[in-house]
Amino acid sequence: MSAFGNAVLALIDDLRAAEVRISVAESIDAMRAVGAAGLECVRMREALAAALIKDEADRVRFDEVFARHFAAARSIGDRPRPSRGGRIGVAGSAGGPSDGGAADEPRPPARDDQEPPRGAGRTPRPSVEQEDEAAEASARPGAPAEGRANADREGDADAAARGLSADATAAAAGDPGAAEDRQAGDAEVAGTGDRAESDAPGPEAGRAAALRAIERMPFAAYSDAEYGTAHDALAVIRRRFRLRVSRRLRIASAGRIDFRRTIRAALQHGGALGDLRFRARRPRHVDLLILADLSGSMKYASTLMLEIVAGARECFRRVRSLVYIDRIAEAGFERGHLVMTPPLDLYARSDFGRVLGEVRDHRATLLSRTTVIVIMGDGRNNRRPARADLLRDLARTCRAVFWLNPEPPARWNTGDSAIRQYAREVTAMIECANLRDLERGLARVV
Amino acid sequence: MDVTQEFVADGLRRAHYITNERVETAVFLALALDKPLLIEGPAGAGKTEVAKVLAEILKTDLIRLQCYEGLDEARALYEWNYQKQLLRLQADEQNGLGWDELSTHLFSREYLLERPLLKAISAPRKVVLLIDEIDKADEEFEAFLLELLSDFQVSVPELGTVRAHERPAVVLTSNRARELSDALRRRCLHLFIDFPGLEQERKIIELKVPELDARIAAAAARLVNAMRKLELKKPPSIAESLDWARALVRLGVKELDTPALRATLGVLLKHEDDRARVEAKATALIPRPR
Repeated sequence: MSAFGNAVLALIDDLRAAEVRISVAESIDAMRAVGAAGLECVRMREALAAALIKDEADRVRFDEVFARHFAAARSIGDRPRPSRGGRIGVAGSAGGPSDGGAADEPRPPARDDQEPPRGAGRTPRPSVEQEDEAAEASARPGAPAEGRANADREGDADAAARGLSADATAAAAGDPGAAEDRQAGDAEVAGTGDRAESDAPGPEAGRAAALRAIERMPFAAYSDAEYGTAHDALAVIRRRFRLRVSRRLRIASAGRIDFRRTIRAALQHGGALGDLRFRARRPRHVDLLILADLSGSMKYASTLMLEIVAGARECFRRVRSLVYIDRIAEAGFERGHLVMTPPLDLYARSDFGRVLGEVRDHRATLLSRTTVIVIMGDGRNNRRPARADLLRDLARTCRAVFWLNPEPPARWNTGDSAIRQYAREVTAMIECANLRDLERGLARVV
Repeated sequence: MDVTQEFVADGLRRAHYITNERVETAVFLALALDKPLLIEGPAGAGKTEVAKVLAEILKTDLIRLQCYEGLDEARALYEWNYQKQLLRLQADEQNGLGWDELSTHLFSREYLLERPLLKAISAPRKVVLLIDEIDKADEEFEAFLLELLSDFQVSVPELGTVRAHERPAVVLTSNRARELSDALRRRCLHLFIDFPGLEQERKIIELKVPELDARIAAAAARLVNAMRKLELKKPPSIAESLDWARALVRLGVKELDTPALRATLGVLLKHEDDRARVEAKATALIPRPR
C-alpha cells in the first residue's frame, strides 16, 4: 500500500481509538472517495468525512484527528474550532464537551473575536478586502468565478474560511454595526458564540454533540450542573421515546381479513373479491407502575426516568408513578419540578423490603394483569430484609417486572446490595448507567 | 456524463442552491462512487432541495418516496394490480383457459403496479431517487431498504430479482426523529446540513427575494440567525425566513423595527411559546440602527 494509503489507515485507526465507529466497508469507501475527490486539502477532508463520519456529533473529533494527521491541513486549511471547555449544552455552544482523552493533544489556537487565528503564520495577514473576497469564496452563494479562483490559487479554498469570525464576515459584508449589534442581545443571545461561516459546526450540530455527550455520561458522575444539562436535553429524548412507544403500541389500521364483510362487499361486484375488508386491530393496553428510588445515589436517574415516562403518558392506558426511599409516595410534576405526595424524608435510609410491603397492601388499586412494573433502583437495602418473596408475589399478579439498575454490573451484589435476590424474581434486570441506556431500557419495557 | 466536482459546483450554483465545499464534495462523491447520500439536519435546512437540484443538474427525473409511519413494501416497492388480475381471470375463464396458461401471465410486469423504489430501479436512464424523511418510517422498512441501497436490486418473489439498469442517484433525508441504524448509515455517504451562517443566509435572501432592500435583508438575516441561537421549540427554517422576507416586501416595511417584527412574527415562528420568548427579547434582537 502507498504511503498515502497508510496515512489514511492511520487516520482511521485514530478515529476508532476516539470511539468513532468505522467499518471496513467505510474504510474502503474512504479510499475510493479520496481517489475521486483528489488530494486537494479541503476536498480530501470533506471526502473522508462524508465516507467515514456518519454522525455529525463526531465531526469535531474528525477535524481534530485529520488536522493532526495531515499537517498541511493545519497550516493551510486551519480554521477556528469551537471552544471545548464550556458547559455542555449551553445554548448554541458549537463544540463538543471535553472528553478527557484529547486533553494532551495539540489544540488549534483559541478563538479570538477581535483577532482571528491564522494558519501557522505562513501567509501574511490579508487585508479587509482580501478577507472580503475570501469570505465570498468561502460562502460561494453563486460566487463569481474569480472569487473562487482566487481562493483556489491560495492552495486551499478553506483558507477563505479560516479565522473569519462572524464579526469579520459582517464587516466584510459592509456592515460595521454588526459587532455592536451582536453584543446588544442579552447574555443568552450574546453568549452563543460565532463561527466560521461555511463549515464550522452550526448550532444544531453543536446541540447534537452536547446531547450525545450527556447521553453517555454515567449518572454516577452527575452533579446538579450535569443534571441541569441532562434536563435540558430531555426534550429530545422524551420526544424520541414517545415516538417509539406510540409506534409499538399504535393501533394498526388493519388486522386480519374479515371474510363475512369481504364476501358481502363482493356480492355487489358479481362475486369478485375485489374489495378486501379487514378487521380493526385491537389496541395493546399497557398499564405502567413506576417505582423509582429517590435516595441520594439514585435521585438523578429516577427523576429523569419519571420525566421521560411522563412525556409518553398518553401512549399508555394508565401510568402510576411512585417514588420511594423507605416508603412510597405518589410522584407528579408541577412546573417541571418533582412533587411527592405525601412528602418523603429524603434523609431516610433505603428500605425496599418495606416499600414492597406497601405496594402489596395497595395492589388492588395499583396492579392488574396488564400492568408492567418498572423499578429504578440499585437494590441497596442497608442490610435490611430484602423481601424478595413479595416481589415474586407482585410479579405473579402483573404482566412483567423490569428492573433498571444504574450501577455497573461489577458492583451488583457487593456491599449492602440485595440485587441478586431481586434479579431472580423479575422479568429482566437491565443495566442503565446513563441516559442512553435508560432510553433503551424503557423502550425494552414496552 | 462526465461528473467532476466543478460540474457539481457549477450545477448547484446555476440552480441557485447556495452551498459550500462540504455539500459539493458530498454530492459529487455520491455521483462518482454511486453511493446513496444520507443528508441529516434540522427541518427546513435545505435537505430535500439537494435532491431536487441534483435532478436539475443531471437533467433527469426526480422520483420521490415520502416516508411515514406504517409505510410498507406495497406502498414503496410494488403491488399487484389485484383488480386487473381478477378481471383477467374472469375473462380467461370464459375463454376456457387452464391454470398453467393463466399463471404464466398473471404474475407478469403487466399486472405490477410500480411504486417509487421499483420505478427508480427499473428506469431506463439514471434518475434521482429521493427517500424523504426516512426517520419517519419504521425500523422494519429501514431494514428492507438495505438490499436496495447496497446492491441496487430488489427481490419480487414472483418475478425474481430486479436489478437497476442504470443506478439511480439516491438521496435520503432525515430530521433525526429517531436514530437510524448503523447498517443503513454504513451504506451511505453522510452529509449534515445545518442552518446557514449569517452571511450565507443574507445571500440566500437577496438571491431569492431580490425585491427586498439589501439593508433590510441583512438585518433580517441577522435576526433569524440570532433567533436560531435561542432554544426555541422550532427555530425558523430557511423557507420561513424567505417567507418572512416576502412578507416584509408585501407589507412595504422600510425599517425592521420592533413593531414590524411583532406584526410578522407569525411567519417565522409556529409555536406560541417561541413567539412569547422572542417577543420578550425583541428589543435586544433587533439590530440597532446605525
